[in-house]
Amino acid sequence: MAEMKKRLRVTINGERYEKEVSPATSLLDFLRTDLNLTGTKEGCGEGECGACSVILDGRLVDSCLILAVEADGQEIQTIEGVGRHGRLHPLQKAFAEKGAAQCGYCTPGMIMAAKYLLDHNPSPTPEQALEAIAGNLCRCTGYGSIVDAILSAAKER
Amino acid sequence: MKVVGQGLPRVEILEKVTGQSVFGADVRLPGPILFGKILGSPHAHARIRSIDTSKAERLPGVKAVVTAQDLPPVRFGRFVRDEEYFARTKVRLVGDRIAAVAALDEETAEEALRLIKVDYEVLPQVTDALEAMRQGAPLIHEEYDQYHAISMMEGRKGNICYHKETVQGDIARGFQEADRIFEHRFYAPMVHQTYIEPHAVLARVDAAGKVTVWVPTQAQFFIRQSVAEIFQLPLIKVRVIPTEIGGGFGGKMLPTVEPAAVALARKSGMAVQIVMSRAEDFQVANPRHPCHMRYKTGVKLDGTIVAREVEVALGTGAYCGIGAVTSQRAEMLAAGPYRIPNVKIDVYCVYTNHANCGPYRAPAGPQLAFASESQIDIIARELDLDPVEIRLKNAIQEGDQTPACGGPLESVHAKETLLKAAEAAGWGAKPREKNRGRGIALGYWLVGGYASSAGVKLNEDGTVTVMTGVVDLSGTVTSLGQIVAEVLGIELDDVHVRTADSDFAPHSTISAGSQALRSMGTATKMAAEEVKKQIMELAADKLEAETSDLVVEGKRIYVRGSIEKGLSLGQVAQLSLMHERGPIVSIQSSSHFPNQPAFSAHVTDVEVDPETGGVKILRYVAAQDVGTAINPLSVTGQIQGSVMQGLGQALSEACVFANGKMRNPTFLDYKIFSSLDAPRVEVHLVEQAAGDGPFGAKGIGEPSIIPVPAAVANAVRDAVGVTIFDLPLSAERVRMAMREKITQR
Ligand code: FES
Ligand code: FES
Repeated sequence: MAEMKKRLRVTINGERYEKEVSPATSLLDFLRTDLNLTGTKEGCGEGECGACSVILDGRLVDSCLILAVEADGQEIQTIEGVGRHGRLHPLQKAFAEKGAAQCGYCTPGMIMAAKYLLDHNPSPTPEQALEAIAGNLCRCTGYGSIVDAILSAAKER
Repeated sequence: MKVVGQGLPRVEILEKVTGQSVFGADVRLPGPILFGKILGSPHAHARIRSIDTSKAERLPGVKAVVTAQDLPPVRFGRFVRDEEYFARTKVRLVGDRIAAVAALDEETAEEALRLIKVDYEVLPQVTDALEAMRQGAPLIHEEYDQYHAISMMEGRKGNICYHKETVQGDIARGFQEADRIFEHRFYAPMVHQTYIEPHAVLARVDAAGKVTVWVPTQAQFFIRQSVAEIFQLPLIKVRVIPTEIGGGFGGKMLPTVEPAAVALARKSGMAVQIVMSRAEDFQVANPRHPCHMRYKTGVKLDGTIVAREVEVALGTGAYCGIGAVTSQRAEMLAAGPYRIPNVKIDVYCVYTNHANCGPYRAPAGPQLAFASESQIDIIARELDLDPVEIRLKNAIQEGDQTPACGGPLESVHAKETLLKAAEAAGWGAKPREKNRGRGIALGYWLVGGYASSAGVKLNEDGTVTVMTGVVDLSGTVTSLGQIVAEVLGIELDDVHVRTADSDFAPHSTISAGSQALRSMGTATKMAAEEVKKQIMELAADKLEAETSDLVVEGKRIYVRGSIEKGLSLGQVAQLSLMHERGPIVSIQSSSHFPNQPAFSAHVTDVEVDPETGGVKILRYVAAQDVGTAINPLSVTGQIQGSVMQGLGQALSEACVFANGKMRNPTFLDYKIFSSLDAPRVEVHLVEQAAGDGPFGAKGIGEPSIIPVPAAVANAVRDAVGVTIFDLPLSAERVRMAMREKITQR
């Protein structure tokens, strides 16, 4: 039988949400299924691909590995909140211009990882950029264009 | 050219960088969506005695359970009808589909799977192609002779699904003429496409019985055909809506989850979504054919190749899938891009108790090039010839034919591509540090083309819409927009081009085989040219000028020499609605595309750790013969990604099985390249407009993966003097080979 649902209060991209969730629901499923925020992707569900990366209270996390209830009271940034009100974040612009998104499936997670990097280190070296996306797999680009995009966005900011 | 040749961002890019793109698992509809799950066989080979779904059906929250009983008794398969969507009497691989369930939530669906009881009689299994060919091997399809097959399916016997011998010249004489003969065996294991988006689908059946399937597929018309065939429906009763696709690499063409979702949606009357887990995707979703190869090559002392005999055994898995195509590709590619007077090639495509192998970027290409190009390198060393020289000496030239290539080849740039790579890498000045080495390899792919149609229409304000059903994998759709913009003298921003679904798009080719742009680009360019002609005719009428005096440029059409005497495209569009001719629109088709070669030559520098055997890529240079690069940003990006995939196959990737079950179905254990492993791939384009293809463009996606494992193997040999005959060149294998070499001394 379905376990007792828990009440969850979170702030996502500046909006406050209050919802009942099952204690077994991952943060990823909560975002994607309960809230229809489908920008965050699932590639493995096991913390191995980074497609589900979000920023949770200032930490970069794999949302597939975190229970929604663990995020109670916290603030979450997802890809939907990166460029607000029709304005692109410099990273989004740079990803577009440098060809850093091909199929685009890894892109939301990549941009979150890159944003986390730039939030903490406004002018990273190429090595630091490679390091920052080490947990995010991309099968299309070969990563070079992603690093270029991160470095070019860093200059923009 | 103004728009063609520009590295413009892809037309859909802003949706992608903002998270707005809708991929397979992102589709949402009004009303509840059921979770669908598929029950796969735990055995690689077994007879089904009985299936009992009654308990699962009674579980609260379960809305439908389906088995073979719910489907018409249809066998499907493009080349041979050897597959039933749900197994009826026998399972032939771990993960062979038994049943599917749909429930209100995921946990209930999983619980329902556990409640289905299947009684199996386990049979002996065979998972390797060579073993499956032996006398007395367990038969995977006992009734194979009775299956319907298309005429190209030659040599069917026992577990041999297809066998063909291809001969050119006189092989026995060739070997007699040779000064030296080299013979080696190689093996390339199964590897997986590992797109980051797993297979996913959403299906719904409306009140009138019309099936709609949202799916990230490379081949929407093929999926429509397959679903219609499996459910015995007319094509107008099936609508396939291709979503954004999170990587395909060939892996998203054959039906996988779609029919299950459709069966569940029909039975439950509700929308059903199925998303494969990563482990399921690894286990059952059509990986690259594992491949045994024997190469025997006769050469003159100056390096001239006079004879080559190749035997290839591809393990196609439990069903043929596209094994026949992979085999034909192997026939074309096996001898390599070389002029060889005497050739004999035997390709066997063999059933095994594994997932049916599917198309994966250049089917058979990297495996064969690994063997062929490794051996060329061995020969060069033995004869004391430079690896670049021996390849230049034998490389095919304009008008040459390679076995099974279908006629004299045009736009042959093997030598230019080799030289470009060698030069870019500074071939002569070899690094001579200890444990470091450099390798080169040459590969080619023959790009054909399939029937395609596309439409172009002039909108009322002079903007242009392209009607196409081709799925965008690698920027094809953007390139189509660039082609149209170029023809009509407008900017890409004035063109709307996106993939339409199977109900509305004219028939479009699959996005595979490196031919999407060639096929679709040709049809699209024809349609744009026809629209241009219509624009000119109408304008000529209005401007009272000859069409030959008109110029279409900058969103206007005007009389040459007097720019003010003209009309905007918007005015032309408006006039057309009042004019007797009516709206300006054209749909054009094309279908005949002779094989066109596209070459790729790679040079890599590696360092081998003498303790661990670990191989580090220090530098990677890829030169490719691309014809005209319609969009250099897409072309370069595609080549870089392709090389990275090849490096995985070269160094770290292999599906490992025990009793038919994959032992490493996770990203942790199946190692694709991460950013930390990735070298910066230096891409050099050989741009010589091809004789045919839109604006002279050639196919891009596949040639670039073909030489990768070979280039790495050759660099490792150069570094530490060992030859690895089995992929991948894992640290363990390299270390062992280095040890053996030391003990042999
Ligand atoms: S889906 Fe979370 S890491 Fe892969
Ligand atoms: S762009 Fe396709 S996985 Fe990264």
